[in-house]
Amino acid sequence: MSQLSRASVRSMMGDVLRRQDKTLPDSDDAALDEIGFRSLDFSELALRVEDEIGEELNFDAPGLRSIRTVGDVLDFIDQLQNP
Amino acid sequence: MTPAGADNLIAADGFVGTWNELAAMDLPPAAAVFVRNSLEALKVVWQHAIDQRETLVAAGARYEPALVEDLLDEGLSVVRQMSGDDELLAPNTVRPAEPGRVWLLTSGSTGRPKRVAHTLQSLLTVKGAQPPRVWLCPYTPGAYAWWQVVSLTLLHPEQSLVCVDPTQSWAATAAEHGVTAASGTPTFWRQALMTQGGELSRMNLRQITLGGEPVDQDVNDLLSQTFPDARVSWIYASSEAGASIAVHDGKAGFPEHWLDRISDGRPRLSVDGDELLISSPHRGVGVNEVLRTGDRVECRDGRVHIVGRLGSDEINVGGSKVSASHVRDTLLSHPSVSWAAVKGRRAPMVGQLVQANVVLKDPAVTEDDLFGYCRSRLAEVEVPRRIRFLDQIPLTESLKSDV
Repeated sequence: MSQLSRASVRSMMGDVLRRQDKTLPDSDDAALDEIGFRSLDFSELALRVEDEIGEELNFDAPGLRSIRTVGDVLDFIDQLQNP
Repeated sequence: MTPAGADNLIAADGFVGTWNELAAMDLPPAAAVFVRNSLEALKVVWQHAIDQRETLVAAGARYEPALVEDLLDEGLSVVRQMSGDDELLAPNTVRPAEPGRVWLLTSGSTGRPKRVAHTLQSLLTVKGAQPPRVWLCPYTPGAYAWWQVVSLTLLHPEQSLVCVDPTQSWAATAAEHGVTAASGTPTFWRQALMTQGGELSRMNLRQITLGGEPVDQDVNDLLSQTFPDARVSWIYASSEAGASIAVHDGKAGFPEHWLDRISDGRPRLSVDGDELLISSPHRGVGVNEVLRTGDRVECRDGRVHIVGRLGSDEINVGGSKVSASHVRDTLLSHPSVSWAAVKGRRAPMVGQLVQANVVLKDPAVTEDDLFGYCRSRLAEVEVPRRIRFLDQIPLTESLKSDV
């Protein structure tokens, strides 16, 4: 499976927010609630990653977890790409 | 008995002549024929009309072993036309042919195709005297819409027929043969206007008939502007329901007061929940008197709009119901969008997200432009989060969108 770097995924996350006139902070500790990154945005990001790597991700693989910060999102996507 | 349209001109696959000049075919009395092209299909129909035999016509591409076995079990011989010798399979069950019976296959989009029983007369949508016309037929042989055009040109005088391959440039051929009436799906028309607009403007169309897919106001308007002398109609018809709705006022949807109207010889239309129900005298033999169509309707501004299939029109985004047709209509209202299809795509957290496939008139438009356009007009869950741009409008054999 081809894989996207953490920086590339971060850039995509910024794109998802940018077109809603929102900004992605530099810090991975930024809370998703505060920057307005919601479940629809997270889902969009996952599909962008799928489109970029040309493969479907197994969304169930990582199991339940807490996703509260930018870093959590990047970790989750990373885990999806490395099941 | 010789059909009333026997002297009508037909043009198909290089043949130009009348129905009664078509070469005779040697067919079993009850036969399913998988044809190699439109001309062969017309020969089968002509043979059926003059012999009153039992006939099923299907495009060669529909040939598949399980379906063929079903047909043989039902007592039909199967003829498969190929580039060399035809293949003839004898029926598994021997029975007398049913004179005049025409079998249609359903699309099979929800499983193995079913056979629906008709006759040439029950397939004929148009009654009464008709003005002379030259009809364009872009449909796949054997489809219900194909039979409608073919039966009209066979059973009514002064109705010529021009068969074309919709995947090729056909407008010049149509203009050359003087086509004045044409039937097609909205997807077919959108694609044609986009790729053959110049040639199309040379056609002197007087009648345009839309069907097979939801018909929105934009496509009505687009055709009316391109062909100002044409009457733009849309019909609702299927192999099971028969021809049930015909609207000629150039508007999308049909008048709400048509619902539950009882009128001799006319189909009765009703709505249960948001599903269209039809009780039609033109339905196929053995079809329930009240047919649940599986088509979803919406009533607005005094009109009933058929917006899509019940199963496929609804997208569940995080527990919220999104109407794919509503999103599609919004995209189509953008001045730079010439075609759009919308569906749900599996996504984490919310189950499904809205995804759109779009063909643009203006290649400078970006995904972000359309996202912003939709965001200002739709609820948050309805906004397409992924938009794929296609180079051209995709067409299936049924001339419907395949996305």
